[in-house]
Amino acid sequence: MTAPTVEAGPRPTAPAPQRPKPRRTGGMARSKRREAIALVIPSLLPILVLSVAPLLVGVGLAFTDARLVRNPEYAFVGMDNFVRLADNSFFWDSFRIGMIWAVSVTLLQLVAAMGLALLLNSDLKLQGLTRVLALIPWAMPPVVVAIMWRMIYSPNAGPLNAFLGSVGLPDDINWLADFSTALPAVIVVGIWVGMPQTTVTLLAGLQQIPDELHEAAAIDGANAWRRFTAVTLPSLRPIITSITSLNFIWNFNSFSLVYVLTEGGPGGRTMLPMLYTYLEAFKNRNIGYAAAMGVVLVVVVVLLLAIYLWSQFRQDRDSTGK
Amino acid sequence: MRHLVRPAQYVALCFYIVFLGFPLLWLISASLKSSGELNSLTVSLIPQDVEWGNYSAALERQGLVRSAWNSAIVALVSTALVLLIALPGAYVLARLKGLVRGMGVGWILVSQVFPVILIILPLFLILRTIGLTDSLVGLTLVHTTYTLPFALWMLQGYVSSIPIELEEAGSMDGASRLTVLRQIVFPLLMPGVVATAMFSFVSSWNEFFFALVLLQSPENYTLPITLKMFIGGEGKVALGPLAAGAVLAAIPSIVFFSIMQKRLTGGLLSGAVKG
Amino acid sequence: MKTRGASIAACLTIGTLFLTACGSGGDSDAGGDSGPITLKFQSLSDQPAAIAATESIVSDWNEANPDVQVEIVPAGWDGIYDKLITQFNGGAAPDIIHYEAASIVPFAADGYLADLSEYMSDEFRADVPEGILNAVTVDDKVIAYPTELQSYMVFANKTLLDAAGVAIPTGETMTWDEMRAIAQATTKDGTYGLGWGLKSPTAAYMSFAPGFGGTYFEGSGADATLSIGEGEMAVPNLVDAMAFEDRSILPVTLSQTGSETLATFYAGQVAMTIQGSFQAANIATDAPEGFDWIVLPPLEGSEGAQQAANPQTLSVNIDSAHVEESAEFIEFFTQTDNLAALNEADALIPATTSAQEALAAKLGTENGWDVILSSGQHLVSAPYLFVDAYAQWKDTVATPAYQRFLAQEIDADGVATELTTGWEEITK
Repeated sequence: MTAPTVEAGPRPTAPAPQRPKPRRTGGMARSKRREAIALVIPSLLPILVLSVAPLLVGVGLAFTDARLVRNPEYAFVGMDNFVRLADNSFFWDSFRIGMIWAVSVTLLQLVAAMGLALLLNSDLKLQGLTRVLALIPWAMPPVVVAIMWRMIYSPNAGPLNAFLGSVGLPDDINWLADFSTALPAVIVVGIWVGMPQTTVTLLAGLQQIPDELHEAAAIDGANAWRRFTAVTLPSLRPIITSITSLNFIWNFNSFSLVYVLTEGGPGGRTMLPMLYTYLEAFKNRNIGYAAAMGVVLVVVVVLLLAIYLWSQFRQDRDSTGK
Repeated sequence: MRHLVRPAQYVALCFYIVFLGFPLLWLISASLKSSGELNSLTVSLIPQDVEWGNYSAALERQGLVRSAWNSAIVALVSTALVLLIALPGAYVLARLKGLVRGMGVGWILVSQVFPVILIILPLFLILRTIGLTDSLVGLTLVHTTYTLPFALWMLQGYVSSIPIELEEAGSMDGASRLTVLRQIVFPLLMPGVVATAMFSFVSSWNEFFFALVLLQSPENYTLPITLKMFIGGEGKVALGPLAAGAVLAAIPSIVFFSIMQKRLTGGLLSGAVKG
Repeated sequence: MKTRGASIAACLTIGTLFLTACGSGGDSDAGGDSGPITLKFQSLSDQPAAIAATESIVSDWNEANPDVQVEIVPAGWDGIYDKLITQFNGGAAPDIIHYEAASIVPFAADGYLADLSEYMSDEFRADVPEGILNAVTVDDKVIAYPTELQSYMVFANKTLLDAAGVAIPTGETMTWDEMRAIAQATTKDGTYGLGWGLKSPTAAYMSFAPGFGGTYFEGSGADATLSIGEGEMAVPNLVDAMAFEDRSILPVTLSQTGSETLATFYAGQVAMTIQGSFQAANIATDAPEGFDWIVLPPLEGSEGAQQAANPQTLSVNIDSAHVEESAEFIEFFTQTDNLAALNEADALIPATTSAQEALAAKLGTENGWDVILSSGQHLVSAPYLFVDAYAQWKDTVATPAYQRFLAQEIDADGVATELTTGWEEITK
């Protein structure tokens, strides 16, 4: 056991690291910065050309009346698009549905994936096999995911209702078409699709926690739950923060899966905001107006995430700096 | 009490496996059913008559194998590129404070939130200018660029979760910065790197929209494009052949996962700090 | 402030133009004076037989025209709209474009398609029913050759009809009331008269509206106006009455796709089902052995048996270097024998009368082909094809409203109000 257990003790009890050391930072910081730039430069070029440039053009379009026509002529229209968007009730309705969808999928995904990751991390038999099985949703081409789930949810020819019927439950639920079950049903598919991603991420995070932390806690007589909240959760916090924020963005942005499942139905109950942006950009070819929708989505989502990230970082600081 | 925990864990694991795995089982079953059975009200996991014809129909489709090959190349190369670029970048992002970090985080978030459909046209025009539309090189670059934010973001999370005290301890022992990185940070980061690699591979392997829009010649098509061609106009779906094609398409991913998951194991710490 | 804004806009425009200009120099085939030219033909044919038919037509052409070679670029239906939008805006669209009227018309309105009026032969023009030709005519310009069509037909389980003592209608057409009466007569002992996959109800309702004089839209482009009257509401109201008064429609089918509904038809749970005509081919292969099925005559409303036509199309990219050659190829592609072969492979209705006749002569009454082909004469152009915001209205207003009507969340007046207020909101 050569590991430096002293420094790596359970974080809450670790001595407060005196990070700001004014007398050493001067020269160090400069060389560190230079080193940093050298490390980041290679990634900058493709990013600037293939991501930042198109992004800027995209955002710029939001302030024009650009249309997708042959030989287009754009004019700068200032905030007109945003003013028009402010009282587009369809967009804001879908925004609300999008929020319900994104928040519930993200949270449930995290809870479910955490459970699975903990199971895969404990020394159960057939670990390799179960890990691969847990990744199956990843191996299913997205093209068929929605078609597959439509078959499973089928009211009169689907295995789900057949199973429910065989155990004596009602077997005629029209999952994707009933006004009350449609949104929950697509949320389950959303969780299913995102599980491997979140599970693998958390599993890697769990593997990264030095065993010594758990051992130290075990010696202190902590029970399993206490070990989870005192050691596992704090160590995983940066990873949980990263994956939940990304999951939230992706879920908020996704619409193709839901579109194939329900086409926004029944009665608009599963209409997601990105579908509006898509229709406006490609079907109506009002790319300027659609870009304004995109900008609004960015602003709202980034604002929400900023609050979330800020609170997470602060908690992080509080717990380390105690 | 303790002897009840294990069985409960196995039960929970079984539940997860059924939930996650059943759709694939159903897909395999569908790939072995005749068109008549698929379009009937019979619900059965075991096909009435096993129909291998769907597999030959899927393989006869033009370019299924070729597009799988294209997908594999694009996915592997972009995964390698992503890791190469993201590892140092993420380290910097996690350990440095200030403007660079702020800009990095800002770009990562905005690029993930802003709808892809709005940037596809500028992107297409840029790629045309440098002659990289309808080329697997261009697609690889695009996949790399668009997986990068995720990879950077996740990896910086993993780096942050490594206590900085470990590094400082290393530095105090007189080891050079590079040695610290190589011998302490990297081994600890291994599970995170593997997880990121798996994600990069899968997201490129499954990516549809960029491939659809950028690739023009059939010999460049990737797997998701070819599979989509089983879905016809007016919602006509050749369900059997599509299922068979999807099962075949899943095999490389599963092989890749089996290889990678072994490396998802940590516990490298004790070895790591020997020096 | 203003100048800065203007300069941003200018930058964007110049940037885009610059990029477009740079781009278009790039890959256009260097044909020209020397050597044969190559035309790219983006084809969406998906059925193996249709792919083979397309390939054989193209190889015939290539053999006969060594100077103008056509290269098939296969693409899928799913996602093709997104691909075309990018291809056109990025200046990378193929020469010859296969699509369908409802989706290609917007591209024509935006100026991306060549006017084919001058290339279309008089024979072809005379051979296409007027209503179908109108469906591909934008501002008096023919922007595509129509090739294949579908109509909605009633398929019936003959055994169940006979058992209910129903006389099989044999006329040229069948009124909706006759169909409703048959549905009532066959609804018994757990069997329903009709199964209708109305998961996306708008397409079906729009198609049947002309039979009741329903047009939905007046005018075209951005100036179109929507009106919902008796003609438009006739079919939705009839479905409502059949489903909830007569109880002669199997409820679950109202939320399913046409293909999913077929399973209940095979299982004998419904005596009739309304489906796209192409399903005849699927029924022939998928129905259980001994399943005795027939195609009933086309449905006729108060104004006739018209249905809105949305033909598949072949168009030419206006920026193609070889518009004339492309048009010549399409003229060849749509010759009677070629169209007949293609439509036979796809189980669709040829767009020309001569090809319909050729197919009818070849196939006779097998799988109800005679009845299906006869419905081709009732297809007419519909105003919705030429309305700018139609796609958005359909997805965000019409489909949700009709679904709420089918679920009895709102009544007929409620639908009409939602359809019109939604339209106003979208187009304001």
